[in-house]
Amino acid sequence: MLTSQAQALPAALSAKRGAISLFGITRIFAGSIAAIDHIDLDIHPGEFFTLLGPSGCGKTTLLRMIAGFEAPDDGRILISGREMQDVPAHKRAVNTVFQSYALFPHLNVEQNIGFGLRMRGIKNPERKKRVDAIMELMQIGAFAKRSAAQLSGGQRQRVALARALVNEPEVVLLDEPLSALDAKLRAELQIELLRMQKRLGMTFVFVTHDQHEALVMSDRIGVMSKGKIEQVGPVLDVYEKPKNVFVAEFLGLSNIWPFTPTGAHTAQTPLGELTIAAPLQGPGLAMIRPEKIWIYNDTAVPKDQANLFMGVVREAIYMGASTQYRIELANGQSVLAFDTNNQAAERSWRPDEPVAVELKPDNIMLIEP
Amino acid sequence: MIPRGVRYALSGISWPVYVLLYTPLALVAYYSFSPAPNSTGHSLHAYNILLHDGAVAAALRRSLILAFGSAITSTALGTLLGYGLCRFRNANAKGFLAHLPSLIIYTPIIMPSLVFGISELIFFNFVHNATGLLGAGLVTMVIAHITFQVPYVALTVFARLSGLDPYLFEASYDLYANGVKSFFYLIVPVVQPAIIGGFLLGITLSIDDFTISFFTSGPGSVTLPIYIYGAIARKGISPEINALGTLMIGTIISLALIQFFITRHRERAGQLSARGKIA
Amino acid sequence: MSTMPSEVAIEAGRQRLRLWVTAGPGLVWIMLFLLIPSAILLGIAFFSADDYGNPVLPLSLSPFQQVAGYSLLGWDSGNIAIFLRSLAQAGTATLVSAALSYPLVFFIMSRPESLRPLLLLFIILPSWTNQVVRTYAWLELLGPNAPVSWLAHALHLVPPDLGLAPGSFAVTTGLAYNYLPYMIVPLYASAEKLDWTLVEAGRDLYASGARLFWSTVFPQTLPGLLSGVIFVAIPAFGDYVVPQLLGGDRALMIGSLIANQFTETPDWPYGAALTIIMLVFTGLGLVAFRILTRKLGGAEEATI
Repeated sequence: MLTSQAQALPAALSAKRGAISLFGITRIFAGSIAAIDHIDLDIHPGEFFTLLGPSGCGKTTLLRMIAGFEAPDDGRILISGREMQDVPAHKRAVNTVFQSYALFPHLNVEQNIGFGLRMRGIKNPERKKRVDAIMELMQIGAFAKRSAAQLSGGQRQRVALARALVNEPEVVLLDEPLSALDAKLRAELQIELLRMQKRLGMTFVFVTHDQHEALVMSDRIGVMSKGKIEQVGPVLDVYEKPKNVFVAEFLGLSNIWPFTPTGAHTAQTPLGELTIAAPLQGPGLAMIRPEKIWIYNDTAVPKDQANLFMGVVREAIYMGASTQYRIELANGQSVLAFDTNNQAAERSWRPDEPVAVELKPDNIMLIEP
Repeated sequence: MIPRGVRYALSGISWPVYVLLYTPLALVAYYSFSPAPNSTGHSLHAYNILLHDGAVAAALRRSLILAFGSAITSTALGTLLGYGLCRFRNANAKGFLAHLPSLIIYTPIIMPSLVFGISELIFFNFVHNATGLLGAGLVTMVIAHITFQVPYVALTVFARLSGLDPYLFEASYDLYANGVKSFFYLIVPVVQPAIIGGFLLGITLSIDDFTISFFTSGPGSVTLPIYIYGAIARKGISPEINALGTLMIGTIISLALIQFFITRHRERAGQLSARGKIA
Repeated sequence: MSTMPSEVAIEAGRQRLRLWVTAGPGLVWIMLFLLIPSAILLGIAFFSADDYGNPVLPLSLSPFQQVAGYSLLGWDSGNIAIFLRSLAQAGTATLVSAALSYPLVFFIMSRPESLRPLLLLFIILPSWTNQVVRTYAWLELLGPNAPVSWLAHALHLVPPDLGLAPGSFAVTTGLAYNYLPYMIVPLYASAEKLDWTLVEAGRDLYASGARLFWSTVFPQTLPGLLSGVIFVAIPAFGDYVVPQLLGGDRALMIGSLIANQFTETPDWPYGAALTIIMLVFTGLGLVAFRILTRKLGGAEEATI
């Protein structure tokens, strides 16, 4: 039963190579647990799109459906404007980089990379030319003759990526490809992947549960939870203006309080009375990111500012470039705040020091539960 | 980890056991060099007779046909079987039907050779009486040999396949290879050592067998073991039999050692190149 | 569109087809050429025999009575003796195999790692020769004219002019020789996985010598030992070649008895009944063994 059949497609967008459109995608596992619950999603051609969410939220399942390894129980998938319903995985112009890399053990690097071309009937010397070109691009030409077992994790990852890219697919899918690497290598490869994507211009759909990774690499993010997409949008928007509690707490840290309006721009919260820039229409939840909270010495409190509260530092967790503070206010409420460790000595606080915190009205976001 | 005193004791027991393992075989070889009648001193007389014995040559030919014929067929059937069970079986299936393939595969392995052989005897007897086909002979022997080899090949291939990254299949699909192409370009090359291992195992099992061959053989299908058995039953052990035994033992041992050292050389070569290139 | 079977169901159907195409031929082959014949064999046990030993109607349980020893001449204890002898010989062969395997396995383990595969190979090699060849070798070794028999004669173990073979001793020896590799391989596999830190822990707690072995090493080898016992005892019990060549008339085993019913003196229903009883014995033995080993612990890995 197809629900969105009549939906008109934005012609310019989906006719472009590498655009992905999902309509009403549903997948039900064993009984009635909906792994994917009626998802609609548009991925723009040539963008780096990340599906972010905790384990089990369905992001990998969604990716596999785009690849064709699993079929949705309901809904449609279009890639580059074409219906994928009857197109099996080996006929889709989509290539995947697997979490475990899945390099063929019986082939060396060169043969692994050329596998897809070979299956499509592209013969030497054309095939060799393209394989050499991608190896040059990814700087792995030195190991062309080695087998997968003789490579390090980072090298394998590059080979897996080369194996996908050499086919010039419309879409490249990446299933947590960096999760098996150590932190430093991970950071390096994140930048490299991003550069590669920008250079080649293919649509990348990247799946991860690591919010930092998502923030660093993506053009747009889709945050998923329990089979549904909670919020989609450019990274900046999703981070600065999360729609609900889940997104706010999954992507970065947050302070969230319930509020009851006492005026057009004032509300009562457990903290006390807050002035909020956004128009208020009834009770709800207010959120402010820890880095947006200003901290002052109790001896240098600015005058005539809204949302100023006195309190005492209870915890100060030093993180190198910044410190995370938990500040307890007079009425017992706690506030989480970040501050960079500037040179100025009077700006770093220790536990039991009295301080004042300021919540600027512009920085307070209204979110849904 | 093992104290020195214990180690000496272990050596003291083990070396004699090794000697004991090869004493019977060595004795066979020794007796094969018995003097020719009416002369003294060791000689190759028995071997001479052997090489000119037409019955032995025929038996050898039949043994080889039996071994290779059954091993090739069982390797094909067993590889497909192992592959199919590994790849396409629903892991969540329950109930009797789900366990049936395991039951079927293990039965030939745990069934005693005697029961196996007699079952075949009876079965082929019935079929022959009813249809005139499958009279006891080389064909029935080949069929029986295939039957007991298939499970071993299937299990060998299955074990190797199970150890593979399951995403390899999907990777091959992702790279434009359909089911058939994936089988020939991914599965077969990767599983090739197991296929060859299964084939060699089939040959070994075939050569080693007597009981099943005996009960499925017919008047014209005398293979080497049956020839030897019959000769001993009729005439006792002659030097010619000893010569034959020696040759058989010698061949097996040589082949096994050659294969062992080749495999080891290949492994060492692979390790060296790996170590050399990861700097 | 709403009446189309879901993609999932179609895919499941395709999977089943692929399963049948690949695994089907092998499975059907085994069913046709082993399971059906075995079923026929077992079925024959419930028929009567005609003068030529062929199975004929009416159905009857008389073959089983024959197994128990009853015939036209009354009751004979012969069969019981044969069963017991088979059990004894298989059991002894198993014990000997186990007793020899332990020193062998640990001897190999005490050697440098590069030598181990070769040492293991040399133990297994004899089992790759043909059964008949390696069994008749013992006939020569233990026959009336062999030095070993002279020694036995000198020790008054056997009467003159009769060697150690054919006879019970030869059969047991032949069985142990044939099946030793089947014990060594699983035992070695177990020993390879030994956790030696347990031994050190034992030493740390003041155990030493034999005590140390039995409490820290032996239990870890149990899975291999149990596999080995199964792989040796079951085939040894029903072996045909060894008792035929090395047993003679004085050491008839169940294997020879069964085979005779299909070759020398045909009586198919009787032979089939004997087979069933033999399989029952084997099955009971397996079950009893599993229970025993579960009590000792660590038996789970021993299963196939």
